[in-house]
Amino acid sequence: MFRSLEYKVGLFILITSVLIVSAIGYVAYKKDVFSRVDTYTLASFSGEDLTEGMPVLLSGYKIGRVHALELGDDGRILIRIKILHRHAKWLRRDSVFIINKPLIGDPRIVLSTGKMSSPPLSTEAIKEVVVANDINTTIKKLEPVVERLNRITINIETLTANLVDPKGNVNQILRHTETLAERLARTDSLLDLALGNPDTVSAVQEALKNTEEITTEMTRILKTVDAMAVKSDEALYGKDGIFPSMRTLLVDLVGKLAKLDQFVIHVNNVGANVDASTKDLGVLRRDIDETISTINSLVKELDRKIPFRKEPRIKLP
Amino acid sequence: MVTFIEGIGTRTLKLCRSAFETLFFTWQVILHLLDLKTYNKATQLVIITQLYFTAVQILPLFIYISALMGLFLMGIVLDSIKQMGMAGNLGNILMGFIFTEVCPFMTVLLLALRSGAALNTEVAVMKVSKELDALNVFRIDAFDYIVVPRILSGIISVVLLNGIFTLVLLASGALFSRMIFGLAFDAYIRILVVSADFSDLVILILKCATFGFFITLLPIRYGLTASNELSSIPIAVLTGMNNVFIAIVVIEVLSLILSSI
Repeated sequence: MFRSLEYKVGLFILITSVLIVSAIGYVAYKKDVFSRVDTYTLASFSGEDLTEGMPVLLSGYKIGRVHALELGDDGRILIRIKILHRHAKWLRRDSVFIINKPLIGDPRIVLSTGKMSSPPLSTEAIKEVVVANDINTTIKKLEPVVERLNRITINIETLTANLVDPKGNVNQILRHTETLAERLARTDSLLDLALGNPDTVSAVQEALKNTEEITTEMTRILKTVDAMAVKSDEALYGKDGIFPSMRTLLVDLVGKLAKLDQFVIHVNNVGANVDASTKDLGVLRRDIDETISTINSLVKELDRKIPFRKEPRIKLP
Repeated sequence: MVTFIEGIGTRTLKLCRSAFETLFFTWQVILHLLDLKTYNKATQLVIITQLYFTAVQILPLFIYISALMGLFLMGIVLDSIKQMGMAGNLGNILMGFIFTEVCPFMTVLLLALRSGAALNTEVAVMKVSKELDALNVFRIDAFDYIVVPRILSGIISVVLLNGIFTLVLLASGALFSRMIFGLAFDAYIRILVVSADFSDLVILILKCATFGFFITLLPIRYGLTASNELSSIPIAVLTGMNNVFIAIVVIEVLSLILSSI
């Protein structure tokens, strides 16, 4: 019943159409084909590198595209961009649109959002775009490098010219090397080659022999000095050497100094006691002075009362 | 020398005449396609029959070939992507090359080989056996009854079968993406959606429709060039199929140019 030709064709068309339409619809939905878009207008003094469909990026994310390019009344290029409505909040009055022309890849418009507190950008407003040209920047950066490369090339050219020139330094060096090699082949030793005079060579050899003898003598002397040093070492650091004896002496001295230190403390104490005693002596002195003055007063009184005595004498304590 | 130049002239004129006749024939077909009077009961029945022969009857074999080709093609392509370290461009390669270029091309190739050749032979045989003259005698418009249903079914078949081919390859791609890149199905779909451009999908459908139009129109057109002799049938089929393959290449190139604009 369901196997008629019409049924089969109908089923095929229905299923495949639904599949294709669903797939296209899904892609369209995901690609924001049905989403609301806002159109903004930018202005540029040059339409160079500007193309319809050019992406508008925010932090590297595509939020819109260039919809149309028109020539304005003032001669400027008007760039109509379509931004998805849900991304319109990023477009502020102080936002900056930069046409970025990378060294590799297609140019794009990059949105630099200003302060979020700034009022939203009106769709009626016309914003000026800023052009950032990576190629020119790179060329500027490369200029010193190119200059250096140029200098290097000139140097290489000079070197090459020198190399080619038969009278050039390099060729002269080569010729000298050749002569040197020839002479080396003729002579018995490098010394002979370097000095050229056989007598001088003999003298140098004699000097070398003398040097050898001197070295032997020096070695012998050094051995003697070394033996002496061993002995001195024994005298200084041996059991009965100078340094152990000095150490004993010093230990003894330290002990004595400790005792002396105690004695000094004792003397200090005595001094303090003497100081206190001195104060008492002052008081005693005052007492004695008072006693003497009292005795003087008494003698005077006695002299006054007993005038027969010519030479009154009182024995003081 | 004169004969040589004459030969060039004759060939050029023949080519121009043939091109002009093809264009005129195309124009007539378009007019009939857009004319609602064309779609009478008889034509509708022929359309359904042609759809059955062109799309439904081939379906099991088509799905089998698609699956086989999908497994080989996607396996090789995804493995090559991994070998070349181009995993970052997976979506662009699949959408820009496999689904928008390879799928329609393979679909149209399969249909041209099967239905194109069959149509060409059928029309040539009808011409030789004077069936078309008989239709004229009965005042039945051959365009409405023979040409339009076949071309329309060709357009619909290529568009729909391309959808099936693409779905099979998508499934193969999902399988191999999981095996080679460990990519989950949702991530795979997301990558494809990000890389897909809606305008490219519209161009793809238009391209498929154009393919369908020409792989049925050209065999019919060249089938009609057969004379009254049976020996003219293979010549008509040969010429028709040659032109079909040329048309496929031309449409492919034009669609590439259109996509790059």
